[in-house]
Amino acid sequence: MTDEEIQDVPRQQYTEKEKAEIFDTEFMPHINSMHNFAYRLTFDEDDANDLVQDTYLKAFRFIDSFERGTNAKAWLFRILKNSFINDYRKKSKEPAKVDYQDVETYYNSDEVDRQITPDLRVELLQGMIGDEISNALNSLDVDFRTVIILADLEEFKYDEMAKILDIPIGTVRSRLHRARNLLKEKLSEYANKMGYKNT
Amino acid sequence: MPNSTDSSTPGKKLTCMEMLQLILDGEATPEQQQQFKSHLDECMPCYKSYSLEVTLKELIRTKCNGSGVKPELIEKIRSQISQNLPH
Repeated sequence: MTDEEIQDVPRQQYTEKEKAEIFDTEFMPHINSMHNFAYRLTFDEDDANDLVQDTYLKAFRFIDSFERGTNAKAWLFRILKNSFINDYRKKSKEPAKVDYQDVETYYNSDEVDRQITPDLRVELLQGMIGDEISNALNSLDVDFRTVIILADLEEFKYDEMAKILDIPIGTVRSRLHRARNLLKEKLSEYANKMGYKNT
Repeated sequence: MPNSTDSSTPGKKLTCMEMLQLILDGEATPEQQQQFKSHLDECMPCYKSYSLEVTLKELIRTKCNGSGVKPELIEKIRSQISQNLPH
């Protein structure tokens, strides 16, 4: 979202007192979630802090574009995601984006119902009491990582995710499906390396 | 297999895995939820997949939620905002 895009909505006219209220009661309660998202995008504490700060300053600057009572958290996540793409992703060492045509083709094929990780069991997952889950999530490509964070950690609905990510709902669903399978593959690898018994 | 169609693509029958994801993410209709619940009673592979997905989702929620921001960052943001407010 560029500054122009943020501005391209019906504008409110809040008093300074109202702006401060909105900032405190609707924006600030999400700062821990925002920081976690920023850290899992950048993997750098300083970059994460800068990204969160930039997002909040931008949100305040364009607060007249925010309609009270609408989903502030989704709005903030959208600003943060776009700031990351525009300002941080360029300098990060992220690999090139995956080809989502492949993802869509996969999703629409019979392979979707293939049991990808037949050896991953509930008991085995519950035995992972260290950082395995977090490390596995961090190992995913940023676009797959993002949908898991938004859906499973932050519990956004598909339509909210579609708006945050600027992609159709169908793509949200297919990307999430693929991301979860990749995560299970990664956890299965961990389990095998650590010698967990699968039977 | 639940006999339900995809609301975003009318007429297209949902696969079990597609239905499972809708249930998991709280996006299924009450009718779809009921159909899937009945299906789980008679399909062990789907029941196991569902249990695994629910467990994984819960683990992500509890183990990946970060350590929170430091108070200094909150102070820094508030300070910058207040400098921008008219006095």
